[in-house]
Amino acid sequence: MTSAAAENTQVAETEDGVERKIVAFFCRECAYAAADATGNARVSLPTTIRSVLVPCTGRVSPLHLLSALADGADGAYVAGCLEGQCHYREGNLHALDRIEFAQALLESVGVEPERVQMFTMSAADAPRFVAAARKMDETISNLPPLKRN
Amino acid sequence: MPLTARGEAIFERLPSGAPRESTGAIGCEIVRHEELCIGCGRCASACPTGATVKGQIFDPMQLYAAPPDSRRGALGAALRTIARHQPSGPIEVPERVSAFRSIVYDASKCIGCGACARTCPTGAVEARPVPLTEIRRIADARREEVA
Repeated sequence: MTSAAAENTQVAETEDGVERKIVAFFCRECAYAAADATGNARVSLPTTIRSVLVPCTGRVSPLHLLSALADGADGAYVAGCLEGQCHYREGNLHALDRIEFAQALLESVGVEPERVQMFTMSAADAPRFVAAARKMDETISNLPPLKRN
Repeated sequence: MPLTARGEAIFERLPSGAPRESTGAIGCEIVRHEELCIGCGRCASACPTGATVKGQIFDPMQLYAAPPDSRRGALGAALRTIARHQPSGPIEVPERVSAFRSIVYDASKCIGCGACARTCPTGAVEARPVPLTEIRRIADARREEVA
């Protein structure tokens, strides 16, 4: 393993040293293709990320995101096609609004809304895919672990 | 104060003398059970007078009150698990989110037809028949108000 690859596997530092868990929903058409390209380029993602394949981000409902948080994740994000380039015409626009709604729900009960986010990328844009994963990892690592009742 | 002569004449002409002996009612009072509502909006599209419409906001407390085996109940359970405090109030709903909207019911526009109750898939809207005596009482009270 080259030193560059070793650097890639690093996860953002947390204050308490406990690694966070992030659930990621990847759309099959864009984000998953970008994930493939990332793998081919031997770039690794932060180890905090657990990926879930969905046919289209339009499938992701607020229930998916909130039950991920309730069942042990510290954050959840959705990666889909660029706006206007959804393979099912406007699935990603539905996803955007649902994530906005989930953020509003979280805010109303006093949880940081940035625990749920949406990123868009094209199928060929592996760097952007990795940047999204890193940014999410960094955001969640800067937050305290999610408390559950 | 009794009904006017014209009103009495109309009641006389109704089948079997006294109006609607079978149910004793000629209209419905609409009672909404918000905890059972799934936000499908069928009541709003069935309403002939626009008394029931889909709102622009959503109250997260509805998730807490929903039956646990429903979708809304599951979302409420997840929200309760991670909540730091009670929901701070109704939230704005983005344009493309259609299921999570509170239904707004305006009793002053309602004609008591009960179309919303017939079309509701979960029994969240109940149409309670209002007895004729009650309607007369209300009509008399209104008339006195106007006079």
